[in-house]
Amino acid sequence: MSVTVDARGLSCPQPVLMTMNEIKGGSEKEIKVLVDSEASRENVSRAAVSQGCQIVDTTQDGEEYTILLTRD
Amino acid sequence: MLIRRLLSRFKRQESRKDRDDLGILVFANTSEVIQAERVLKNGGWPVRVMGPPPGIQSGCDLVIEFPLMEELHLQRLLTDAGIPPLEVVPVNDPLLKPVDLFHTKDFGGYLMIRAANMKLTVDKESLVIVNVSGGGCPDVPYLAGLMVGQTLMDTPSPGTMGHTLCGYALKLALEEMERQCLP
Repeated sequence: MSVTVDARGLSCPQPVLMTMNEIKGGSEKEIKVLVDSEASRENVSRAAVSQGCQIVDTTQDGEEYTILLTRD
Repeated sequence: MLIRRLLSRFKRQESRKDRDDLGILVFANTSEVIQAERVLKNGGWPVRVMGPPPGIQSGCDLVIEFPLMEELHLQRLLTDAGIPPLEVVPVNDPLLKPVDLFHTKDFGGYLMIRAANMKLTVDKESLVIVNVSGGGCPDVPYLAGLMVGQTLMDTPSPGTMGHTLCGYALKLALEEMERQCLP
């Protein structure tokens, strides 16, 4: 099972903070993060990796990105 | 009413006089501005790093504001330090903005500080840097890669690694974050 963090329409640092809250407080192994800018994709990915998560997949649909993370 | 008007006129004249007494030092690049600021502040000179007025075409995206009366002293000090300014210009443009204006936003568990065009966000509990954003300068991804995941105590300073306005602004944001978060 995965949980979805929908951070579309938000500017940094909010997508990062929503992702961090899920990493720290959630229990699902997989986290799907939705963002709508390249900068947010980079920042969320960087923050997740710094927390020990792995980026399993990143897909782009127009200006939207879906980042699939797993926590150890 | 008359007194208020006279007072207001007096304040405007004083403000203009203050500005006329200032000058700016223009350098080739941001690294030189940062070095010059360090040299001048260590010498006890009251200088400030500012964004340049639109009329200045040469140099980089930062300048140093200084008391114009001290021009010769400062020129000599900077020349001795190997960083002579490209230009020295009297300040007469009201659009000159200081870079060290901070905006702090508390997100509950996280604290964000913005300095000029850069934002730095820290986890308040662990003091780990969780985000570096803003700018648009080419060194921002590099600086973010070095800083995100580090604590305020361990992070390398963007002031020594950055070479752009973004790096300088990030250094100021980090210093302000340290001032607010570290004992």
